[in-house]
Amino acid sequence: MGARSGAPRGSEPASAVTAGTAPVLEVEDLRVRLRTPRGPADVVNGLSYTVGPGETVAVVGESGSGKSVSVLALLGLLPARVATVTGRAVLQGEDLLTMKPERLRQVRGPGAGMVFQDPMTSLNPVLTVGRQLVEGIRAHGDVSKEAARSRAADLLGEVGLPDPKGALDRYPHELSGGMRQRVVIAIALSNSPALLIADEATTALDVTVQAQIIDLIENLQADRGTGVIWITHDLGVVAGIADRVLVMYGGRCVEDGTVDDVLERPAHPYTRGLLGALPDLARPAVDGVVPDLATVPGTPPAPTDLPEGCVFWPRCPVRGDARCEHEQPPLVQIQGLDRHFGPSGLPHRAATWCTEPTSDTGLPASGTGSTALGGDR
Amino acid sequence: MTGAPVPEPGGSPDTPAGAPGTSPVASLKPARPRWRETLGLLARNPTAAVASVVLLLIVVVAVFDDTFAPEGANEISVTDRLQSPSWAHPFGTDDLGRDILSRVILGASVSLKVGFLAVGFALVAGTMIGLLAGYYGKWVDDVLMRFMDMLFAFPAVLLAIAVLAVRGPGSGNTALAIGIVYTPIFARVTRASVLGVREEVYVRASRSVGASDWRILTRHILPNAAPPIIVQTSISLAFAVLAEAALSFLGLGTQPPNPSWGLMLAEGRGYIELAWWLAFFPGMAIFLTVLCFNLLGDGLRDALDPRQRTLMAGGGK
Amino acid sequence: MFALVHLVPGDPVRLALGTRFSQESYDALRERSGLDQPLVEQFFGWAGRALTGDLGVSFRSGETVTSQIAERLPATLTLAFASILVALLIAIPLGTVSALRPRSVIDRVATVISQFGISVPDFWMGIVLILVFAGTLGWLPSGGYVPISEDPGAWFSRLLMPALVTGVVSGSVITRFVRSSVLEALGSDHVRTAQAKGLPTRQVFTWHVLRNALLPLVTVTGVQLAYLLSGVVVVEIVFSWPGLGQLALQAVQARDYPVLQGAILLFALVFLVINLVVDLLYTAIDPRIRR
Repeated sequence: MGARSGAPRGSEPASAVTAGTAPVLEVEDLRVRLRTPRGPADVVNGLSYTVGPGETVAVVGESGSGKSVSVLALLGLLPARVATVTGRAVLQGEDLLTMKPERLRQVRGPGAGMVFQDPMTSLNPVLTVGRQLVEGIRAHGDVSKEAARSRAADLLGEVGLPDPKGALDRYPHELSGGMRQRVVIAIALSNSPALLIADEATTALDVTVQAQIIDLIENLQADRGTGVIWITHDLGVVAGIADRVLVMYGGRCVEDGTVDDVLERPAHPYTRGLLGALPDLARPAVDGVVPDLATVPGTPPAPTDLPEGCVFWPRCPVRGDARCEHEQPPLVQIQGLDRHFGPSGLPHRAATWCTEPTSDTGLPASGTGSTALGGDR
Repeated sequence: MTGAPVPEPGGSPDTPAGAPGTSPVASLKPARPRWRETLGLLARNPTAAVASVVLLLIVVVAVFDDTFAPEGANEISVTDRLQSPSWAHPFGTDDLGRDILSRVILGASVSLKVGFLAVGFALVAGTMIGLLAGYYGKWVDDVLMRFMDMLFAFPAVLLAIAVLAVRGPGSGNTALAIGIVYTPIFARVTRASVLGVREEVYVRASRSVGASDWRILTRHILPNAAPPIIVQTSISLAFAVLAEAALSFLGLGTQPPNPSWGLMLAEGRGYIELAWWLAFFPGMAIFLTVLCFNLLGDGLRDALDPRQRTLMAGGGK
Repeated sequence: MFALVHLVPGDPVRLALGTRFSQESYDALRERSGLDQPLVEQFFGWAGRALTGDLGVSFRSGETVTSQIAERLPATLTLAFASILVALLIAIPLGTVSALRPRSVIDRVATVISQFGISVPDFWMGIVLILVFAGTLGWLPSGGYVPISEDPGAWFSRLLMPALVTGVVSGSVITRFVRSSVLEALGSDHVRTAQAKGLPTRQVFTWHVLRNALLPLVTVTGVQLAYLLSGVVVVEIVFSWPGLGQLALQAVQARDYPVLQGAILLFALVFLVINLVVDLLYTAIDPRIRR
């Protein structure tokens, strides 16, 4: 841990799923507790993962699973009054969670850029697009206004905005949702971050625009070698872009592994439920086609009142063991489930007491269209 | 979702949302916050709780004013003129030797009576107008709300003064004048809430199964419009007490020799340098009453705020 | 516009019907002021003359209404603008600070202060101020109005207390708006975007919070100004401030209804003008409204 990352930004080949190189981000035992009027809510409970250069890690889960909070916590974007964040989150050798506020500000932008869910609200309606880009660029370097403006125009061109120069003087409401999201991406990329966090970045967009934005981020990532955390509840998106997947439930990581491992050989009952791999949970497959929308009955536990044992226990279709109810399963390497390790040789872990192997009935690793969890929009 | 506390002890006639086995219409309804929960939230807000207790005291004193007042309102005693506060006269006496504490207590009943009458009028008239305008829309809305806008555009004090000029001074007319002034506010608040829920699925659903307009209005729309109306009622009571005092101060409201806080202030104003207590104590009484109504209104707003409720329930995000 | 003007003469007519004049003077007055003519005719006659700037002659003093209003206007304008200045000086810092630290001690103190300001009867506060500053301390004159052109010192010392009283009341109302609109702006997504791109806190605050919170502030300030220009009768009485509110009150009491008509027309105009100014300001600061 704490390896001083020597990897210069953008120098890694994007295609490689890097196992050995120093990670861009290393998160260890991240915990977030929010103060609410109903008592403390444990929203994130011991999350650990790494993101390598050029790697895309997808964090999936229903709304309320703590996935958004976990990344907002990384960049100190949760209100300090209500949120207590513990653990370690080392970005390029520096722990984000113990950083001085001023240093953290300097890291936001060049260290990590962020794209939010709703392009309709994530831009300031009363400032021009150009202004919002320029202020970001000038906050991280002694750049003249003119230089920043031309940089901004270049960025807008790069994210595929027609007439980038003219767009600088437009206001957000004059652009379509897809165009706005491109602007948000341009802002996030304006300081060439080592890490890009996309928090439900395509959820609010319609399907064709969604695909364009995903392509855009993939291409930019390939060009720059940026590590990406992709937060979504859309398994179709995950299959399309992720190298590795982390499934969150009740603020915990219940399963992680390569995209092939997790989507094709899900080990946790929750993941299987999401994928529609459990026949008694999902609608039956018709003509071998996995149903479009898989749902898990019930609702996620309230973070103020998490179950004592396995977080998924109250909704679990295969529970039975008293152990499930009272003892928390650790996140461990799956034995015997995977007939072979994924192509990367990366581990496939799950937190469940129920480890009986199942057949390969997950989704194909790509191209299944939209498989949405019930959740935010 | 806007929720509504329904202050009926026997429970809402509608099945609470989410309960199994209810009619499709009922189950489409958004979860309604329960009245007890609202009271609980209110009790947890110390300022609002204290304000409610003080208000209750004021109301009790006002209702049993004869019992509480040490002397009658108009017991003139020339030998006791302009006495500063003492054990015999805790608030002192005025230029006619009348006990100010007694007059403040008796004035409370006048002030509150006018306040409640005025707000009652505004509440009933405004809510009706708002419901009709919001529910029927079209020309009904246009006509009613245009009229309300005209009333609203008028400077409030002047409007009240004009009403009093037409009808003559006095407590009853003061209540009417203040009521007319506040009617547009209730109409607007109600109409806004109605517009908010009119197109909700459960309202359209009950319309589609042939529920009468009256039933839809009273069972579905009014309860959802209730929280802002309740808040507005409390705040309007504050301003009604204030307005009664102002109008009486101008000599247009309650007429002498009846005790009214505003009138006492006006009478005491002439003696301000000689005997400060004449104007001070009635002013304090106005201030305290108005403050409590405002604080209660704030507390209610917080307790009824659906966003706050969600925060309590979910805590996430 | 027409609706407002139409309302204006309506009230004074009803006012006149409610008077207790002796029959002869009533008839004489009716004839002199054209009240014996049908209502519609009266209205159009009055409206036509009003358009040319002729608002009629006061029943009471025999002066023209326009000259009476013109005489009172400077005092009213002075007080209204001084009050709104006091109000904004109180509201913006107080509202902002309490929004920045919601539920903190500062916020609670600010809430209490604004609650006091909203609840305190302004005329009583005026009386208490007079008692303290004019009576006991003897620092300030207890009332009256001196034009600034005559004696700036006297003008200021007489303006101070009434402006403070009305300013505190309006300021308390505005404080709550500032608090809630700053809070709302603080919680909006674009602020998070601004933070996420690493802007210095001060810049986030100025350009992404305050700039956006300004929009509702303009509206509420306009409403308060309209109120201050028309509705501070009671404070004017307490401080013997010769403003339009006093004029209107006297007109009501004396059933001097050309004056009342004129005053009400003026208030309606003020209302319209302020609305127009608010709209224009909005267009200037909110790009979404342009075109």
